[in-house]
Amino acid sequence: MSSSIIYYIREFCRPEWLKKFFFAKTPLLEAPAHFRDYPQLTGNECTHELRCMMICPSPGAIEVLKMDDGTWAPVIYKGHCIRCGLCVEACPDNVLRSGDLLERNKYEKTYFLASYFLHVDDAKCMKCGNCAVACPINKEIDPRLGSSAASSNDDVIMRVKDGRLTFLHPEKCTGCKTCEKTCPNGAITVARVVEGVQDED
Amino acid sequence: MSIIQKLKNKVRSRSIHVSYVNVGSCNGCDIEILACLSPRYDLEQYGIYVHNNPREADILLITGALCEQWDDKLVSLWEKIPEPKAAITIGNCPVSGCVFNRRGSYVNPPVSKHIPVAASIPGCPPRPSEIVSTILSLAPEVFKDFEEKKR
Ligand code: SF4
Ligand code: SF4
Ligand code: SF4
Ligand code: SF4
Repeated sequence: MSSSIIYYIREFCRPEWLKKFFFAKTPLLEAPAHFRDYPQLTGNECTHELRCMMICPSPGAIEVLKMDDGTWAPVIYKGHCIRCGLCVEACPDNVLRSGDLLERNKYEKTYFLASYFLHVDDAKCMKCGNCAVACPINKEIDPRLGSSAASSNDDVIMRVKDGRLTFLHPEKCTGCKTCEKTCPNGAITVARVVEGVQDED
Repeated sequence: MSIIQKLKNKVRSRSIHVSYVNVGSCNGCDIEILACLSPRYDLEQYGIYVHNNPREADILLITGALCEQWDDKLVSLWEKIPEPKAAITIGNCPVSGCVFNRRGSYVNPPVSKHIPVAASIPGCPPRPSEIVSTILSLAPEVFKDFEEKKR
């Protein structure tokens, strides 16, 4: 009995034990490679497609801003961003990276396909042409597109022709929803559809 | 620097008492605080101890987007903490309201407009190691030479 007490006291008096008991600190765990930290710039050029802003589920988390040197670049706001990594995956130019997400997508051959669908409710539309005039893509294709939106150019996304708003090249739409916002009647709607795809081969 | 101050610094560096309060979070951030207590992270080896009583605490950890009921209660809770004290907000909610900050919701972020916040740890939720390292880097700034600085 007494020998075991003495044994214990001796054990507790060992300097290594005391040192470990009072001063041992394990270093903090490091984030694993698959951890999606706040997205960071890879250095690729941003082509201002705004897919990151479109897919971001958190309000006010990401904004594509014009930098001092005239280039576009996404800016992440901490305190709003929930580190979901969707913007990293959605960007077609791999401007952002987060953890090993890009490498993993490359290895697994997964990517996001974005498509945009335009629809006009003819019952609500009053053929004012605001949407066709406001559309930035239309503006590029036909700079002379005027207030009536009666363009003679056949390459535009949409125009008012024969008293009806018609879509000519809906595949050129970049999903910015400018038309939706400018329509006074809420007649035109843009559906943004994102598909997750994996190549089989 | 007096000897007593040196002694206080020494003791305080290994005796950081935290209390946490949930002012309307989804519990995600609270679970991450809980994870800090688990053997995997083991908060106490760094000299951080968790209480549920603000009167015993030095650091208040705040999670959540601040529901309206907390408007006055958080302030009175903050006043109960003895000096020296500091508040750390955890997660996106106390900064921006995160998922709860939608039209028609009864939340009132940011927390920093109600009580002084010394640091905030963004993330939804932040990693336990981010929480521990923030507490460890903030504590000396608040507690070191507190009496000397006050004079
Ligand atoms: S990681 Fe998610 S929440 Fe953060 S900016 Fe990207 S899409 Fe938005
Ligand atoms: S969403 Fe943008 S690009 Fe597409 S049609 Fe509307 S304005 Fe044009
Ligand atoms: S802006 Fe609206 S109402 Fe005007 S043409 Fe376009 S869809 Fe029709
Ligand atoms: S920041 Fe995210 S995880 Fe933390 S309380 Fe808010 S919603 Fe929940």
